[in-house]
Amino acid sequence: MSDAFIDGLFLVLQWKAFSLMILGMGLGFCVGLLPGIGGAATLALMIPFVFKMSPAEAFAFLLGMHSVAATTGDITSILFGVPGEGLSAATVVDGYPMAKRGEAGRALGAALMSSLVGALIGAVTLALAIPIVRPLVLTFGSPELFMLSVIGIACITSLSGLSLRGQLRGFAMGLFGLLLSTIGQERQSGSLRFDTGLMYLWEGLDLVPVLVGIFAIPELVDLAVRGTSIAGDKPAANLSSGVMEGIKDTFRHFWLVFRCSAVGVFVGIMPGAGGGVAQWMAYAHAVQSAKDAKEREGFGKGDVRGVLGPGAANNSKEGGDLIPTIAFGVPGSGAMAILLGAFMIMGLVPGPDMLTKHLAVTYSMVWTLVIANIITVLLSLMVLNHLAKLTYIRGGLIIPFVLLLVFVGSYTANNQILDLIVTFCFGLLGYIMVRLGWPRPPLVLGFVLGKLVETYLFISVARYGFSWLSQPLVLLLIALMVVVIVYPFVREKPAWAGGGD
Amino acid sequence: MHKKGNLLFSFFLILIAGYAALSASHWSFKTGFFPLAVSIPLLVLVILNLVLEFVGGTEKASGPAVEAEFTNDVAPEVARRRVIETFSWIVGFIALVFLVGFPAAVPLFLFSYLAIQSRIGWLLSVSLTATTWGAFYFLFQRLLNLQFEAGVMQTWMGW
Repeated sequence: MSDAFIDGLFLVLQWKAFSLMILGMGLGFCVGLLPGIGGAATLALMIPFVFKMSPAEAFAFLLGMHSVAATTGDITSILFGVPGEGLSAATVVDGYPMAKRGEAGRALGAALMSSLVGALIGAVTLALAIPIVRPLVLTFGSPELFMLSVIGIACITSLSGLSLRGQLRGFAMGLFGLLLSTIGQERQSGSLRFDTGLMYLWEGLDLVPVLVGIFAIPELVDLAVRGTSIAGDKPAANLSSGVMEGIKDTFRHFWLVFRCSAVGVFVGIMPGAGGGVAQWMAYAHAVQSAKDAKEREGFGKGDVRGVLGPGAANNSKEGGDLIPTIAFGVPGSGAMAILLGAFMIMGLVPGPDMLTKHLAVTYSMVWTLVIANIITVLLSLMVLNHLAKLTYIRGGLIIPFVLLLVFVGSYTANNQILDLIVTFCFGLLGYIMVRLGWPRPPLVLGFVLGKLVETYLFISVARYGFSWLSQPLVLLLIALMVVVIVYPFVREKPAWAGGGD
Repeated sequence: MHKKGNLLFSFFLILIAGYAALSASHWSFKTGFFPLAVSIPLLVLVILNLVLEFVGGTEKASGPAVEAEFTNDVAPEVARRRVIETFSWIVGFIALVFLVGFPAAVPLFLFSYLAIQSRIGWLLSVSLTATTWGAFYFLFQRLLNLQFEAGVMQTWMGW
C-alpha cells in the first residue's frame, strides 16, 4: 500500500502529467473567476481532450482544473459579491461585507488558506477512507438521505434569527426554495409542472441565473446607491498585512476549520448532495458555534469565521466526493458524474479494481488534490494584494463590468435571453428580500436541494410507505434536526426568561 | 413603508403558494405530492407571518439574522433614484441583447454606462469599451465558443 502511495506521487510528478496539471489549473483559475461557468461544465468541455492521455495524466489535468475552480470561485465572491462558482455563494455572505469594510485582503487570505487546509483534510480522508467507507455509505438509504437534506435546510433556516418571526420567515423561504425547484418536468412521470407554457421551463430553473441574480444584483444595486468604491471611504488597510491576518485567522480558528472540513467531507461522501450544500452546512455550523448572540450578530456583516467555514468545506468535499466515485462508481455530485465518464474513457472500472490493481492511480488523484491546491494558494497569495485593490476603484467603473460578467455567466446556462430575464427577476427578488429582512440563504439551499429531497422522499414513500419514519437511523436524524432548530433558542436566554434582546 | 412592503411581499407569497397548492391538487399523486407537501406549509407559515405583522406591529426582529445589510447613509430620495436608475440600466441591457444580440449589446451598453452614468471621459470610455469587447470576443466567442442568439433586428434584416 505504501508503495502505491509513493508510486501515485511519482505518477503526478512525471513531467507530462505535471505540465497537464498546471495547464488544467490555469483553466480552472479562469473558470473559477467567471460567474456561472462552473467547474462541472468545464470538466465536461475538457473530457474530449483526455482520450490520448494516460489515466494519471488525465486525472492530473481534470482534477487539477476542478479543485482550483472551487478555490478561485471565492475570489469574486469576496471582491464583488458575485459567486464565481455556484458553490461559492456562502462565501459572499461574510466575505463581501469584509471587502466593504476594507478587509478584502484579510478575507481573501482566510478563504485561500482555509481552502488549502480543507483540501488537505479532504485528500487525507480520501487516502485513509477508501477501504473503510463502504459500510457507512451502504447504511444510508433514501429515507436517511432525505432526512440529511432536510437537516441541511433546517441548519440554514435556524440562522434566520432567534425571534418567532425570524424563524417563520426562514422556514417559509426554505419551503419557497423547495417549491421553485419543482418547476419543470417531474422526474418520475415526466409530467410538466408550473411551466406556464414556456419550453424554457421544462428543464426547471437553472441554478446559475438564480444564484447569481439573487446574490450579485442586490449588491451591485447597493454599490450604485452608495456611489463609492466597494470598500467605500474605509481607509485602505495594509493589504499585505491583511492577507497575513487572514492566514493567521485560519490557524486561530483551526478547530472550526477542521470541523467544517469534516462537514465538507461527509456531505461529499453522501451521493448527490454536492458542494453548495457542504458550504451552507459549514456556514451554518460556523454561525452556530458563536458563543453568544452578540458574537452571532457579527455574522452576515463580515465575520471572518463565515469565510473560513465555507472555504474549508468547499475544498474538503472534493476528497469526500471522490470516495464513492472511486470506490463504488456512485458519483457524489454532477462534476463527479462527469469524471466518471473519464474513468470509462480510460478503461478504468470504479470499484474494487481501483483499490487493488489501480491503487497507484487512485493515490495519484489524492496527490493531485494536494499539489494543485498548494500551488494555487501559493500563486494566489502572490497576486492577492493587486486583486484586493479592485475594491478601491470607484463603483461607477466597476458596476458595468461586473454586470456584464453576471449576465454572460447567466447566459451560459441555456444560451437564451430568458436566462437574463430570470437573473433580473431573482435580482429584484433578492433586493426586495434584503430590504424587507427576509433571508436569502434558506431559499437558495431549498432550491439547490429541492430535486434531491423530492427524489429521496418519493423513493422512501414508494418503498416503505410511511413506515420509514420509524426507522432507527431516521429517528436519530429527526432528533438531530430538532436539536439543530431548538439549540440556538436554548443556548440564548430568551427575553421572556430575563435574557437580553 | 417597511411594514407595507412586508405585507405586499407576504401577499405575493400567499398568491404563489395558493396557486401551487391549487394546481398540484389536480395532478396525479406522483406529480403533485411534493409541490403540495411544500406549498401548504408555505401558505400556513406566510399567513402566520402576516397575522403577526398585523397583530405584533413592526418587529425589528429577526434577532441576529445572517443576512446582508444595505447602506443607510444615503438620503432616501437619492437612494430610491439610484435604485431605479440601476434597475433601468439592467432592463436596458436585456432589451439591447434582445434587439441586437449579446456581442453587439456588450460594447453599446458598456460605452453608454461609462459615458452617461459614470460620467468618465469619452477617450477612457472608448478605450475601456474596446478592450472589454476584445476580451469578450476572444474569451467567450473564440476560446470558449459560446453560441449567442442573434438579436431580433439581425433576424428581421436577415443577417
